[in-house]
Amino acid sequence: MIARAVPQPAPSADEMLLKIVGLSKVYKGGGPPVHAVRGVSLSLEPGQFVAVMGPSGSGKSSLLHMLGGLEPPTTGQIWFDGARVDGLSQARWAMLRRRNIGFVFQFFNLVSNMTVADNVELPALMSGATRRQAKERRIELLAELGLSDKASASPARLSGGEQQRVALARALANRPSLLLADEPTGNLDSLNSADVLRVLCRVHGQGQTIILVTHDARAASMADRVVNLFDGMIIDDMDVVTPIRPSVAAAGVLRLGE
Amino acid sequence: MRLPLLALLAKEPAHGYELKSLLEQTFGQAYPSPNIGQIYVTLQRLERDGLVKSQDVIQTTRPNKRVYELTPAGREALAAWIEEPSEGPRVRDDFFVKLALSPLAGVTDQMALINRQRRHYLNLMRGLSKLASATDRDSRISLLLIEGAMLHLQADLDWLERCQEELM
Amino acid sequence: MRAALRWIRSDLRARPFQVAVEMLVVGGVLTALLLSVTVLEGATNPWAGLFAQSRGAQIWMRLAPGTKVSGLRQIGGVTAIAGPYSTTAATIVQGPLQSAVELRAMTPAMPQIGRLLVRQGSWLAPSAPGGVVLEASFAQAIHCRVGSELVINGIDGPTAKVRVIGIAATSDQGFYPDQTPGLAWVQLPLLRRIEPIARHTEEVVGIRIANSADTSFVAQQAVAELTGAVRSVSTWTQVEQSMARGDPLLGLLLALFGLVALGGAVLVIASATGGRVLVQLEELATLKTLGFTPGQITAMVVAEHAGVGLAGASLGVVATRYLTVPLLHGIPASIVPAVVPLPATWIVLMACSAEFLVVLAAAFPGWRAGRVSAVVAVRRPLPAGHLSQLARVVMLSRFPPAIVLGARAAFIRRLPAALTIGGLAMSMAVITIGLGVASTVDDVQRHPANIGLAAALTVSPGELSQAQAGAIVSGDRQVLSAYPSVQVNALLATGTTTITTLGLGTSARPYPFHVAQGSLYHAPGQAVASQGLLDLLHLKVGELVPMQINGVPVIFRIVGRIVEPEYSGQVLAYGLDTLSQAGVVSPPVYYSLVLRPGVTVSAARRHLLAVSGGRLDVTEVNDPASQLGIIRPMLAGLIAVLALVGLVSVLTASSVGIRDQLRDVGALRAIGLTPRQVMVSMVSSTTALAVIAIATGATAGFMVSTRLINLGAQVYGIGSGIGRPPSAPAMAAAILIAAAGATLTAILPARRVVATPVATMLGP
Repeated sequence: MIARAVPQPAPSADEMLLKIVGLSKVYKGGGPPVHAVRGVSLSLEPGQFVAVMGPSGSGKSSLLHMLGGLEPPTTGQIWFDGARVDGLSQARWAMLRRRNIGFVFQFFNLVSNMTVADNVELPALMSGATRRQAKERRIELLAELGLSDKASASPARLSGGEQQRVALARALANRPSLLLADEPTGNLDSLNSADVLRVLCRVHGQGQTIILVTHDARAASMADRVVNLFDGMIIDDMDVVTPIRPSVAAAGVLRLGE
Repeated sequence: MRLPLLALLAKEPAHGYELKSLLEQTFGQAYPSPNIGQIYVTLQRLERDGLVKSQDVIQTTRPNKRVYELTPAGREALAAWIEEPSEGPRVRDDFFVKLALSPLAGVTDQMALINRQRRHYLNLMRGLSKLASATDRDSRISLLLIEGAMLHLQADLDWLERCQEELM
Repeated sequence: MRAALRWIRSDLRARPFQVAVEMLVVGGVLTALLLSVTVLEGATNPWAGLFAQSRGAQIWMRLAPGTKVSGLRQIGGVTAIAGPYSTTAATIVQGPLQSAVELRAMTPAMPQIGRLLVRQGSWLAPSAPGGVVLEASFAQAIHCRVGSELVINGIDGPTAKVRVIGIAATSDQGFYPDQTPGLAWVQLPLLRRIEPIARHTEEVVGIRIANSADTSFVAQQAVAELTGAVRSVSTWTQVEQSMARGDPLLGLLLALFGLVALGGAVLVIASATGGRVLVQLEELATLKTLGFTPGQITAMVVAEHAGVGLAGASLGVVATRYLTVPLLHGIPASIVPAVVPLPATWIVLMACSAEFLVVLAAAFPGWRAGRVSAVVAVRRPLPAGHLSQLARVVMLSRFPPAIVLGARAAFIRRLPAALTIGGLAMSMAVITIGLGVASTVDDVQRHPANIGLAAALTVSPGELSQAQAGAIVSGDRQVLSAYPSVQVNALLATGTTTITTLGLGTSARPYPFHVAQGSLYHAPGQAVASQGLLDLLHLKVGELVPMQINGVPVIFRIVGRIVEPEYSGQVLAYGLDTLSQAGVVSPPVYYSLVLRPGVTVSAARRHLLAVSGGRLDVTEVNDPASQLGIIRPMLAGLIAVLALVGLVSVLTASSVGIRDQLRDVGALRAIGLTPRQVMVSMVSSTTALAVIAIATGATAGFMVSTRLINLGAQVYGIGSGIGRPPSAPAMAAAILIAAAGATLTAILPARRVVATPVATMLGP
């Protein structure tokens, strides 16, 4: 009944952007070892938008961290764009992130001392763009996210939704092949969530591959595919389909009157 | 259906088609409007109960139309309805009965049951999202309705999660 | 690279005050060090600088007038000859004061070898035939400035009124009054006017040689070349040693403070960097998620602080450049004969070392920053705090809860707490030692006999006969005892070195030298020597040393080593009876007077002058303790630097603490602590650290201060026992000021926190 870590042949350099095989994470140190992720395998095509759901402690965030190289897996393989990356050094991972993986977090994590513009330009500058290129990309992104007038503001002066959109702009600055989002709406009210989700949908529409870890079913329903984690394992992997007559849906959920 | 019609008539007298389009305007696409037949049947019942009265208006180019207006008894009934607290919507106990009774019915894969239900909910949610993005930003009532449906769905999903944690 | 620069820039902008203080610490420490080295170099070894600047000669010879010196050029190794210049002895008369001077005739054209370094005014000029240029230390000693009018008396009577047109330094001879007579340069006609008799003049010639190591050899050849005409020879080693003071306390203090200031600066940078990294953990983690490698983050943190350090170092270099003259100008030439700005290479080298230390100090926190886990980007909880012992004690003693809360918070993060305490305690310890030094200096100035300076006045008969003078000084009620004394040069048996010898008292009643080793002279032929002389002649106590005094051979047995800060520490002393026994014609006798306790030097001098009707020559002994006065401003400067060090420690502590406490503070305010209580809590967290540090530092400083000073004194030959503990009022003031300063420093950031709306503190 539960998808076990089935040994699979090593993925060939096929059309998958990301392929993980039997990934586990065990936290040790003080007390009994905690099995956060147990043998998760998953493939992701370019352009796919996958939501990862599951109760707290189901290993969603650990999985995402491993996919972005923030922490190393205990066992298992990660293949990114046809190359095996799970054994990379911290520095190599950093370089991979710099060009190919964008991150968005629940608490936005903008560099508080830098202006919005500087935050967004940072990744481009880091990957060797000139000041002008970085600036052009920043102007383009902020315009797209409706933040052009906030360029010189300090992050602390922005609302949560605005901060998260800046964080999105920063994550997208280098046109990464993979965007990893960790509960991006977890700290926002519904209006701001809707704003952020709309942006996610739009970049997805432009071909952006996204992995979104979330509790928020509304956010998850934007994805093409929802992977459900429970106790560190995948218990369900579904393609989301739009009902043929969505208008029936509201009535199906909420009956007005008797 | 009775009371919404009374509410619409409280503002000014109207005939059946006017009432149908008023309902559509208010709730938007999110809630399928009753057909005109249902509206007329309801109006006739209201008239029979003495809550509305009607009168034919003669039109030259078209068939006559029947215009309904509220009676004092109707106004009272409307006021009483509005003042009375409403029952909330009930959880979908149908699924819960399935889940609770599945071992007795010889169905052992409760996880599959839950997953199936979750998929259904998520698809519904996606439908609602689509609907919301297709809805005009100015139709506030309509958007609120969709929002309400979404929040209920989220609650259903959270409850599913609880079931899963407790039963697995 | 660009990204790193952008981050550094914004981080610097976000905390201008901290950056400024950090810069000031580096700049201040470097300035203090550079000025100290300048003083030390100027005080202890001015010769090398003067020699290089003046293209001096290594060997100087005094010759009979009219000696032909062209043969000197033929000697191997000789590169150039300076002079010969006519010279003559004369006296400068200023009211009742008379100073022996050597006039040296030179031309308005500055020579290529043995140039004079004009410090003020100008060099001799044809337009001012009556002008003289005075040697700098001499000018200072006789209080002459450019423009002063002087009367010069020739030995044979002629008198000339002259004007000082310039003051110059030279590497030809040691400083006045160690080297007497003083030196003055005039044009030949003026010299002729003052000393018309040619055979009463001498000629001076300088020999510059390619390799200073050959000095002794070349000097012997030169003496041989000019047989019979050589009256005396001096070499650069003597000049260097005579200029070299090795002022022990000064050197010791400078070394001590230099090390401590550097250590303090390292600690400050380490603690500031460490604290900053701690405050920034999340942001650094975020940078990692953006693709900064660990190496880049380490490099970035180190580069940021290296940049601040570089700015500070540049500030220090500039400050040194502009402060050297105004700050050190006031130092009497008797302490620092030549304040020569340090060579650029030294400054660059020291600035580079300072920068290197900054990098070193930032390296460890930087390395830690690089190792911050990227997962920290998702907020990391505070290390679990448990009530510290101190807090428990505070709690038991029923202190207000706000203070207990604050004191507890201070110790949650152990490493920053330790760094803060370390930085502050070290500053406090050194400040305490500094106070100990100050009270030692006070003590030495009050009781100079402790470092061997018994005599306060010297008296020469002047216009009186020796007997009359002796009667006056022995009969004076203010004089405890008077020792007949002579000062006479002796030519060592090797024939190339002249030294100063002193006959002081008699074998039966020797002058009360402070004997560091062996004993005083108690029989004719016995002598005591100072460390400098022993070093110069490679002698040990107990050995024999033959020499010629006024042409008579005398052999001394060195029976003891004395502490003698005068005569550049190169002196041989013996009883006057030794000279008479050997048959040396006694040179003029003067009296060294030890005054009764409580009698001031100036009062005794005035009294003696009055009693003799102004006919006695009464001179105050150069008191090295008064030279120690320079230590006070240096102490003040160093204490200022150390206070900055402490300030940075406290600032770091409070910024780290506030970051940690912010949520707590919000919660506490939400449950009803008043802003004042919150403030008390935050401030007491920093103050708790400061109090521990101050107490530790003051205790440690107090315990080592006296011992350290004594140790230094021993090493430098002054002798143990002069160290004094810091005075109680000074200690109390220092502790109070430090505690108050720490508290005030902590109040500033706490006020900001208290002014923040509660709601924003409770957010994520």
